[in-house]
Amino acid sequence: MLMNLWIKFTKENYLKYISHLDLMRLFQRTFRRCNIPIKYSQGFNPQPKMTIGNPLALGVESAEEFMEIDLYERIPEDEFIRIVNSDLPEGIKIIEVKYVDSKSSITSFIDWSYYEIQFVANNIDDLNLLKTSIMKLLEMDQLIIEKEKRKGNKVVSQNKDVRPFIGNITISEGKTKKISDNECLITINCLLKSGDKGNLKPVDLLKVIEKYTDIDIDIDTAEIKRLKIYSEKDNKIEPLM
Amino acid sequence: MINISKFEKALKRVEKPARYIGMEKNSIKKNLDDVKVKFAFAFPDIYDVGMSHLGLHILYNLLNNEEDIACERVFAPWIDMEEQMIKEEIPLFTLENKEPIKNFDFVGFTLQYEMSYTNIINMLHLADIPILSKDRKDSDPLVIAGGPCAYNPEPIADIFDFFVLGEGEEIVLEILNIYKEHKERGFSKLDFLKEISQIEGIYVPQFYEVYYKEDNTIDRMVPIVEGVPKTVNKRIIKNLNKTYYPEKLIIPFIEIVHDRIPLEIFRGCTRGCRFCQAGMIYRPVREKDIETLLNLAEKLVESTGYENISLTSLSSCDYSQLQMLVAELMKKYEEKHIGISLPSLRLDSFSLGILKDIEKVRKTGLTFAPEAGSQRLRDVINKGVTEEDLERAVTFAFNEGWSTIKLYFMIGLPTETKEDLLGIKKLGYKVKDLFFGMPKEKRKGNLKITLSASCFVPKPFTPFQWIGQNSIEEFNEKIRLLKSEIRDNKITFNYHDPKLSYLEAVLARGDRRLSKAIIKAWEKGCKFDGWSDVFDFSKWMEAFEETGIDGDFYALRERSFDEVLPWDFIDIGITKEYLIKEYKKATNEELTRDCRLGCNNCGINRSFLGGVC
Repeated sequence: MLMNLWIKFTKENYLKYISHLDLMRLFQRTFRRCNIPIKYSQGFNPQPKMTIGNPLALGVESAEEFMEIDLYERIPEDEFIRIVNSDLPEGIKIIEVKYVDSKSSITSFIDWSYYEIQFVANNIDDLNLLKTSIMKLLEMDQLIIEKEKRKGNKVVSQNKDVRPFIGNITISEGKTKKISDNECLITINCLLKSGDKGNLKPVDLLKVIEKYTDIDIDIDTAEIKRLKIYSEKDNKIEPLM
Repeated sequence: MINISKFEKALKRVEKPARYIGMEKNSIKKNLDDVKVKFAFAFPDIYDVGMSHLGLHILYNLLNNEEDIACERVFAPWIDMEEQMIKEEIPLFTLENKEPIKNFDFVGFTLQYEMSYTNIINMLHLADIPILSKDRKDSDPLVIAGGPCAYNPEPIADIFDFFVLGEGEEIVLEILNIYKEHKERGFSKLDFLKEISQIEGIYVPQFYEVYYKEDNTIDRMVPIVEGVPKTVNKRIIKNLNKTYYPEKLIIPFIEIVHDRIPLEIFRGCTRGCRFCQAGMIYRPVREKDIETLLNLAEKLVESTGYENISLTSLSSCDYSQLQMLVAELMKKYEEKHIGISLPSLRLDSFSLGILKDIEKVRKTGLTFAPEAGSQRLRDVINKGVTEEDLERAVTFAFNEGWSTIKLYFMIGLPTETKEDLLGIKKLGYKVKDLFFGMPKEKRKGNLKITLSASCFVPKPFTPFQWIGQNSIEEFNEKIRLLKSEIRDNKITFNYHDPKLSYLEAVLARGDRRLSKAIIKAWEKGCKFDGWSDVFDFSKWMEAFEETGIDGDFYALRERSFDEVLPWDFIDIGITKEYLIKEYKKATNEELTRDCRLGCNNCGINRSFLGGVC
C-alpha cells in the first residue's frame, strides 16, 4: 500500500512573505486540524514526516510547489484535497496529489525551476537592444558572481560560475512595456537550476544581468514567481507531476 | 482602506513582512460597512509580542462574536516598517481590513508594560489621531486603555479618554452597548463619557482635577463633574467557569514569543510575594474546574492544530487539581503528539514530578526564581522558599537528567545588605557543588548555571509602593560586586540595565505631570524603550529636564504612609491598611502565610465577593 503522498500546491499573493519554516508550521497545524493521519519520526523528539522540496526565498510567489508526506492510513486523493483546501488560508491551495512509490525523497527529483521575473529597468527603451543583450549573455562561456558563504562564524565571498545553472532566458514581449521616458517594465522567463545538484536563485540571475549587460535593474521592483518545477532525466526535462 | 500598492511596496522593503499581512487562520474579517461599532485592539509593541498576549485573543473573539461589532488588530510597526509607512504616507492600519485606525470608533490599547508608553504615542501619531484627549473631536476615535498598567493611569492620563480597570470580559460590551445608543441619537463625546463614568471600573481622567502641595506631593484629587465617583473600583469576573473564553485562536504565520495554546487555569495568586503587583491586583484566586478546562482544551486543539498546550496562570503549580489535569490532558493528547507545558515552576518535588512526566524526552532548561540570595531577604519579600527547597529541587532535577539551570533574582530589594547580595553568588556555587557532588557516572549533560539579576522596581498596590528605589549608581555598584565575585566557567551572571529600571520606576509611580515628559521623550525619538538596542536613556533625561520633571522624585523617594499617592483613587479591593501591615511585617522579616492556608484579611473578599476567596 502506497502511503507516500506528493502534494502540488500554490503559494501566492501575500503568502509569499512567509518563510520556509513558517510554511512547515502552517502545514503541520493544518494537517492536525484536518486529522490527516500523518506519520511521525521515531526517537526522542518525534516530528511529522513531511518535506518541502526546494524551499522558496521570502517574497517569491509560486504557482507550483512540492511537498511529500508520509501517511499511516491512506486517504483517497480527491478527499485529501477537499479536506485540506477547505482549511488552508487564501494564497495556499493544493492543486494535485498522488501516491508515489519511491524510496528517495522528493527533493532528489527536483532539478530545474521555471520562473517569471518582472522588474523595472531604468535605461532601456528598445526591445531589440534588450533581446541582443540577453542573447549575448547566453553566449558567454562563464558568468561569474560573487557568492557569500558562511564558514563557521566567518563570512567569506567566493567567485562562482553560474552559467551552467542557467538553462534559458526569454523575454516575454507581451508583458514588457515602457512605463516612462527612461523606465521600462520588463518581464522575463527563465529556466534555472534548482535543488541539491546546483541551484541559482532568481535574484542572483538579476545580479548576473546587471553585471554583464547594460540593463540597469531596480532590484526593489522585482516580482518573482515560480511557474514550474522540473526533473531532468537523460538530458530531458519533464514536470514532476 | 489604505493604498494597497503603496502597502505592497513597503512590504518588500521590510525584514518580516508577514507581521503586517493579517489573513491568519481564525482571524475575522467583517465588512466594516455592515457593523455598528468598529473597535481597533491596539497592542503597543510588535506583532510577535502582541500576538502572544492572551487578553488580545479573549477580547478579539468576544467582540467579534457580536454581529454588529468588528474588532480588528493593530500592532506597533517595527522601525523598518515605520520608515516605509512614513515614506509612502501609509497611515497606521488594522491587519484585517487594512483600514486606517483613524476610521474606527474605538482604539483600545492594552497596557502591559510602562516602557511601551512612547509606542502608544507613536502609534497615535502614525495613525494621524491627535495624541491628547482634549485635542480629539467627537468624530475622532475614542482612545481607551486597560491592562495592568492602568492601575496607575496617571502618567498617561492626558492621552486617554478613559481607562477600564480590572477584567474586561463583561465591561467591554456594556461600554459598546451604551456607545451604540449614543451613536444612534447623535454622538457627543462629553455626554458619552459622563454616562459611562457611572459604570464600575471606568475612569475618565478629564473629570478629575489634581491639586499639589508645595513639596510637589499630591494634596488632593477631586471630581470636577457632578456625579462622578470619587473612587473607582476595579472590575472582576466572579465565576471563571461561566465567563467567556475563546474556542478559537488566531494562528500566526510567523513564529511568535508564545506560539501555543494558552489554557488559563486560574486567575489571581495566593502566595502574597510583597514585590509582586500581579499578585495583588489580580486577587482573588478563581480557578476553572477540570471539566471546563478539558472541554476548552479539546475545542482549542481542534480549532488551532497547535502542538502544545500551556497551562497558564500566575503560579500554575498552585492549581488545586494540577496532577489530575495534567494526567487527563496527557492521556488525551500524547498520541496526537501534543505537548503540555508549565510556564511557572515552584521549587518543590511535587511540581518537578509533574514536570518530569510532561517533559519525558527533551530536557529543556529549568528556571527557578528564588528572587533573593539570602533567607533573610526572602522572608522580607515573603517569598516562601528556603535554601533546602532549592537544594532538593536542583538535586532532583540533576538526577532526572537536567543540566541547565537558570535562577532569577532581584537586586535592590528593600533592606538588602552586601551579605544578601553575595547570597546570590553562594546559591549559584551551591548548585554547582550539587552537580559535581554526584558520582561521575550519574551526571548527565554539561552543567550550565545562569544567575540572572533584575533591578527591583517598586510598583503601585504592593506593600513596597512607598519604598525608594536604589539609584542607578547603587545598582551599578551591586552589579560590579557580583560581576567581580562570580568567576566560574560553569556560571554565567546576567543583569538588567539599571537605567531602564529607573525609568520604569518613574513611570510606574508617576503622576499626571509626567504626561508632558513622556510626549517630549517621544518627540525626541524615543520608542520601543523596552528594546535594549533601541532604548536611549539620554533622550529621556533631556525630556525630563526640558519639562521640569525630577525623575528621582518619583523613583528614589521614600513616601510616608499618609502621602496621597497618584493611584489612591482606585480601589483594587485590597485595603491600604493591609499593604501597610505587610510593609511593616517585611521590615520585621515576618512571613505571611499563603491565602489558601487561611485568610489574611487583605480585604478582597469583603469588597468583591462577600464570602471566601
